[in-house]
Amino acid sequence: MNNAWVLYLVFAAGLFFLGLYCLLTMRNLIKLFIGIEVVGKGVSLALLATGWARQSIFLAQSLVVTYIVIEVSLVATALAVIINLYRTNQSLDIRKLTRLRG
Amino acid sequence: MTVQILLLVGLLGASALAILAKDLLKSAISLAVASLFLGIIFFRMGAPYAGVFEISVVAGLITVLFMLTIALTAQGNDVRESKLVKTVFPLFFIVFALIDALVMKGILSKIPALEAAAEAGTFGDVLWKERSFDLVGQLAVILAGVFAVLALFRKRDHHE
Repeated sequence: MNNAWVLYLVFAAGLFFLGLYCLLTMRNLIKLFIGIEVVGKGVSLALLATGWARQSIFLAQSLVVTYIVIEVSLVATALAVIINLYRTNQSLDIRKLTRLRG
Repeated sequence: MTVQILLLVGLLGASALAILAKDLLKSAISLAVASLFLGIIFFRMGAPYAGVFEISVVAGLITVLFMLTIALTAQGNDVRESKLVKTVFPLFFIVFALIDALVMKGILSKIPALEAAAEAGTFGDVLWKERSFDLVGQLAVILAGVFAVLALFRKRDHHE
Protein backbone atom coordinates (compact mmCIF):
# COMPACT_ATOMS: atom_id res chain seq x y z
CA MET A 1 0.00 0.00 0.00
CA ASN A 2 1.31 3.36 -1.07
CA ASN A 3 1.72 6.02 1.65
CA ALA A 4 1.04 8.84 -0.81
CA TRP A 5 -2.25 7.15 -1.74
CA VAL A 6 -3.29 7.17 1.94
CA LEU A 7 -2.38 10.87 2.15
CA TYR A 8 -4.48 11.74 -0.91
CA LEU A 9 -7.44 9.79 0.44
CA VAL A 10 -7.13 11.48 3.87
CA PHE A 11 -7.40 14.86 2.15
CA ALA A 12 -10.23 13.61 -0.10
CA ALA A 13 -12.13 12.50 3.02
CA GLY A 14 -11.47 15.95 4.53
CA LEU A 15 -13.03 17.61 1.48
CA PHE A 16 -15.98 15.23 1.68
CA PHE A 17 -16.46 16.13 5.36
CA LEU A 18 -16.32 19.86 4.59
CA GLY A 19 -18.99 19.54 1.90
CA LEU A 20 -21.19 17.34 4.06
CA TYR A 21 -20.89 19.78 6.98
CA CYS A 22 -21.98 22.59 4.68
CA LEU A 23 -24.96 20.57 3.40
CA LEU A 24 -26.10 19.74 6.92
CA THR A 25 -25.73 23.16 8.55
CA MET A 26 -26.12 25.97 6.00
CA ARG A 27 -29.38 27.61 4.96
CA ASN A 28 -28.42 29.54 1.83
CA LEU A 29 -29.24 27.65 -1.38
CA ILE A 30 -26.10 28.82 -3.20
CA LYS A 31 -23.95 27.87 -0.19
CA LEU A 32 -25.51 24.40 -0.22
CA PHE A 33 -24.60 24.04 -3.85
CA ILE A 34 -21.03 25.13 -3.11
CA GLY A 35 -21.04 22.29 -0.55
CA ILE A 36 -22.03 19.82 -3.28
CA GLU A 37 -19.16 21.13 -5.43
CA VAL A 38 -16.68 20.58 -2.58
CA VAL A 39 -17.93 17.00 -2.12
CA GLY A 40 -17.41 16.50 -5.87
CA LYS A 41 -13.83 17.77 -5.59
CA GLY A 42 -13.14 15.20 -2.88
CA VAL A 43 -14.59 12.41 -5.00
CA SER A 44 -12.59 13.34 -8.10
CA LEU A 45 -9.39 13.57 -6.01
CA ALA A 46 -10.06 10.10 -4.57
CA LEU A 47 -10.75 8.68 -8.06
CA LEU A 48 -7.59 10.06 -9.57
CA ALA A 49 -5.41 9.19 -6.57
CA THR A 50 -6.62 5.58 -6.69
CA GLY A 51 -5.97 5.40 -10.44
CA TRP A 52 -2.52 6.86 -9.86
CA ALA A 53 -1.73 4.33 -7.11
CA ARG A 54 -3.00 1.38 -9.23
CA GLN A 55 -1.15 2.54 -12.33
CA SER A 56 -4.34 2.99 -14.34
CA ILE A 57 -4.20 6.75 -14.58
CA PHE A 58 -5.79 6.91 -18.04
CA LEU A 59 -8.99 5.19 -16.92
CA ALA A 60 -9.17 7.35 -13.77
CA GLN A 61 -8.53 10.43 -15.88
CA SER A 62 -11.32 9.57 -18.31
CA LEU A 63 -13.70 9.02 -15.36
CA VAL A 64 -12.77 12.42 -13.91
CA VAL A 65 -13.23 14.13 -17.28
CA THR A 66 -16.67 12.49 -17.61
CA TYR A 67 -17.54 13.64 -14.09
CA ILE A 68 -16.47 17.22 -14.83
CA VAL A 69 -18.58 17.38 -18.01
CA ILE A 70 -21.62 16.04 -16.16
CA GLU A 71 -20.92 18.47 -13.30
CA VAL A 72 -21.25 21.42 -15.71
CA SER A 73 -24.64 20.14 -16.85
CA LEU A 74 -25.70 19.68 -13.23
CA VAL A 75 -24.51 23.16 -12.21
CA ALA A 76 -26.33 24.85 -15.11
CA THR A 77 -29.60 23.09 -14.28
CA ALA A 78 -29.34 23.58 -10.52
CA LEU A 79 -28.47 27.26 -10.78
CA ALA A 80 -31.44 27.75 -13.14
CA VAL A 81 -33.66 26.09 -10.52
CA ILE A 82 -32.18 28.35 -7.81
CA ILE A 83 -32.87 31.50 -9.89
CA ASN A 84 -36.46 30.38 -10.48
CA LEU A 85 -36.93 29.65 -6.77
CA TYR A 86 -35.56 33.11 -5.97
CA ARG A 87 -38.02 34.72 -8.39
CA THR A 88 -40.88 32.87 -6.73
CA ASN A 89 -39.90 33.35 -3.08
CA GLN A 90 -37.68 36.49 -3.18
CA SER A 91 -35.29 34.66 -0.88
CA LEU A 92 -32.57 32.02 -0.96
CA ASP A 93 -33.40 30.72 2.51
CA ILE A 94 -34.28 27.01 2.47
CA ARG A 95 -36.57 27.48 5.50
CA LYS A 96 -38.91 29.51 3.30
CA LEU A 97 -39.31 26.71 0.76
CA THR A 98 -42.22 25.21 2.60
CA ARG A 99 -45.04 25.83 0.12
CA LEU A 100 -45.19 22.16 -0.88
CA ARG A 101 -45.19 20.91 2.69
CA GLY A 102 -48.10 18.59 3.45
CA MET B 1 5.99 15.30 -2.09
CA THR B 2 6.28 18.48 0.00
CA VAL B 3 4.84 20.52 -2.86
CA GLN B 4 1.92 18.07 -3.18
CA ILE B 5 1.20 18.36 0.57
CA LEU B 6 1.26 22.16 0.34
CA LEU B 7 -1.11 22.03 -2.63
CA LEU B 8 -3.46 19.66 -0.77
CA VAL B 9 -3.45 21.94 2.28
CA GLY B 10 -4.18 24.89 -0.03
CA LEU B 11 -7.05 22.94 -1.61
CA LEU B 12 -8.56 22.13 1.78
CA GLY B 13 -8.07 25.72 3.03
CA ALA B 14 -9.65 27.28 -0.06
CA SER B 15 -12.59 24.85 0.18
CA ALA B 16 -13.08 25.69 3.88
CA LEU B 17 -12.99 29.40 3.02
CA ALA B 18 -15.57 28.81 0.27
CA ILE B 19 -17.91 27.26 2.80
CA LEU B 20 -17.30 29.57 5.76
CA ALA B 21 -17.03 32.96 3.98
CA LYS B 22 -20.04 35.16 4.62
CA ASP B 23 -19.95 36.92 1.24
CA LEU B 24 -21.16 34.63 -1.57
CA LEU B 25 -18.85 36.26 -4.12
CA LYS B 26 -15.84 35.48 -1.94
CA SER B 27 -17.14 31.92 -1.62
CA ALA B 28 -17.33 31.53 -5.41
CA ILE B 29 -13.81 32.92 -5.87
CA SER B 30 -12.46 30.62 -3.13
CA LEU B 31 -14.07 27.68 -4.91
CA ALA B 32 -12.29 28.71 -8.12
CA VAL B 33 -8.97 28.88 -6.22
CA ALA B 34 -9.64 25.39 -4.82
CA SER B 35 -10.25 24.13 -8.37
CA LEU B 36 -6.98 25.72 -9.44
CA PHE B 37 -5.13 23.85 -6.68
CA LEU B 38 -6.88 20.60 -7.64
CA GLY B 39 -5.95 21.13 -11.31
CA ILE B 40 -2.28 21.62 -10.40
CA ILE B 41 -2.41 18.45 -8.24
CA PHE B 42 -3.84 16.55 -11.24
CA PHE B 43 -1.06 17.87 -13.47
CA ARG B 44 1.59 16.76 -10.98
CA MET B 45 0.02 13.28 -10.71
CA GLY B 46 0.46 12.82 -14.46
CA ALA B 47 -3.14 13.51 -15.49
CA PRO B 48 -2.88 16.57 -17.76
CA TYR B 49 -6.30 16.17 -19.41
CA ALA B 50 -8.13 16.05 -16.08
CA GLY B 51 -6.07 19.06 -14.94
CA VAL B 52 -6.95 21.06 -18.05
CA PHE B 53 -10.66 20.24 -17.65
CA GLU B 54 -10.59 21.07 -13.94
CA ILE B 55 -8.92 24.45 -14.47
CA SER B 56 -10.73 25.56 -17.63
CA VAL B 57 -14.21 24.20 -16.96
CA VAL B 58 -14.59 24.11 -13.17
CA ALA B 59 -12.40 27.10 -12.25
CA GLY B 60 -13.55 29.06 -15.31
CA LEU B 61 -17.04 28.23 -16.54
CA ILE B 62 -18.66 27.10 -13.28
CA THR B 63 -17.28 30.15 -11.42
CA VAL B 64 -18.82 32.41 -14.08
CA LEU B 65 -22.16 30.59 -13.69
CA PHE B 66 -21.99 31.03 -9.90
CA MET B 67 -21.20 34.74 -10.23
CA LEU B 68 -24.08 35.17 -12.67
CA THR B 69 -26.46 33.51 -10.22
CA ILE B 70 -25.15 35.61 -7.32
CA ALA B 71 -25.64 38.77 -9.40
CA LEU B 72 -29.20 37.75 -10.40
CA THR B 73 -30.16 36.97 -6.80
CA ALA B 74 -28.51 40.03 -5.28
CA GLN B 75 -31.17 40.73 -2.66
CA GLY B 76 -31.33 37.16 -1.45
CA ASN B 77 -27.86 37.16 0.04
CA ASP B 78 -28.97 38.17 3.51
CA VAL B 79 -29.84 34.66 4.67
CA ARG B 80 -28.94 34.42 8.33
CA GLU B 81 -26.95 31.31 9.08
CA SER B 82 -27.07 29.72 12.50
CA LYS B 83 -24.44 31.16 14.84
CA LEU B 84 -23.39 27.67 15.85
CA VAL B 85 -22.18 26.86 12.33
CA LYS B 86 -18.87 28.70 12.60
CA THR B 87 -18.21 28.11 16.28
CA VAL B 88 -18.75 24.35 16.20
CA PHE B 89 -16.93 23.85 12.90
CA PRO B 90 -13.29 23.85 14.19
CA LEU B 91 -14.20 21.34 16.91
CA PHE B 92 -15.93 18.98 14.48
CA PHE B 93 -13.15 19.34 11.96
CA ILE B 94 -10.37 18.57 14.45
CA VAL B 95 -12.24 15.47 15.67
CA PHE B 96 -12.86 14.35 12.09
CA ALA B 97 -9.23 14.99 11.04
CA LEU B 98 -7.94 12.92 13.98
CA ILE B 99 -10.28 10.01 13.19
CA ASP B 100 -9.50 10.36 9.48
CA ALA B 101 -5.72 10.28 9.98
CA LEU B 102 -5.87 7.36 12.42
CA VAL B 103 -8.43 5.16 10.69
CA MET B 104 -7.82 5.70 6.98
CA LYS B 105 -4.67 3.59 6.74
CA GLY B 106 -6.38 0.68 8.54
CA ILE B 107 -9.42 0.86 6.25
CA LEU B 108 -7.33 1.01 3.10
CA SER B 109 -5.15 -1.93 4.14
CA LYS B 110 -8.28 -4.11 4.25
CA ILE B 111 -9.11 -3.43 0.60
CA PRO B 112 -7.82 -6.34 -1.48
CA ALA B 113 -5.05 -5.32 -3.81
CA LEU B 114 -6.18 -4.93 -7.39
CA GLU B 115 -4.14 -6.05 -10.30
CA ALA B 116 -1.74 -3.19 -10.94
CA ALA B 117 -0.69 -3.65 -14.53
CA ALA B 118 0.42 -0.64 -16.52
CA GLU B 119 -2.12 0.47 -19.13
CA ALA B 120 -1.47 0.06 -22.78
CA GLY B 121 -2.15 2.76 -25.36
CA THR B 122 -2.86 6.43 -24.82
CA PHE B 123 -5.50 8.43 -22.97
CA GLY B 124 -7.45 8.75 -26.22
CA ASP B 125 -7.54 4.96 -26.66
CA VAL B 126 -8.89 4.46 -23.14
CA LEU B 127 -11.45 7.27 -23.42
CA TRP B 128 -12.82 6.49 -26.88
CA LYS B 129 -12.39 2.70 -27.13
CA GLU B 130 -12.76 1.30 -23.60
CA ARG B 131 -15.47 3.70 -22.50
CA SER B 132 -17.31 4.34 -25.74
CA PHE B 133 -20.78 3.50 -24.36
CA ASP B 134 -20.34 5.89 -21.40
CA LEU B 135 -19.84 8.73 -23.84
CA VAL B 136 -23.34 8.18 -25.25
CA GLY B 137 -24.71 8.55 -21.71
CA GLN B 138 -22.56 11.63 -21.23
CA LEU B 139 -23.98 13.22 -24.38
CA ALA B 140 -27.50 12.39 -23.18
CA VAL B 141 -26.81 14.10 -19.82
CA ILE B 142 -25.51 17.23 -21.56
CA LEU B 143 -28.58 17.35 -23.82
CA ALA B 144 -30.85 16.83 -20.81
CA GLY B 145 -29.08 19.74 -19.06
CA VAL B 146 -29.55 22.00 -22.07
CA PHE B 147 -33.26 21.16 -22.33
CA ALA B 148 -33.72 21.60 -18.57
CA VAL B 149 -32.21 25.10 -18.68
CA LEU B 150 -34.31 25.97 -21.75
CA ALA B 151 -37.45 24.70 -20.01
CA LEU B 152 -36.72 26.65 -16.83
CA PHE B 153 -36.16 29.93 -18.67
CA ARG B 154 -38.91 29.61 -21.26
CA LYS B 155 -41.07 32.65 -21.84
CA ARG B 156 -44.49 32.42 -20.31
CA ASP B 157 -47.50 32.40 -22.62
CA HIS B 158 -49.72 35.48 -22.53
CA HIS B 159 -52.78 33.65 -21.23
CA GLU B 160 -50.92 32.17 -18.21
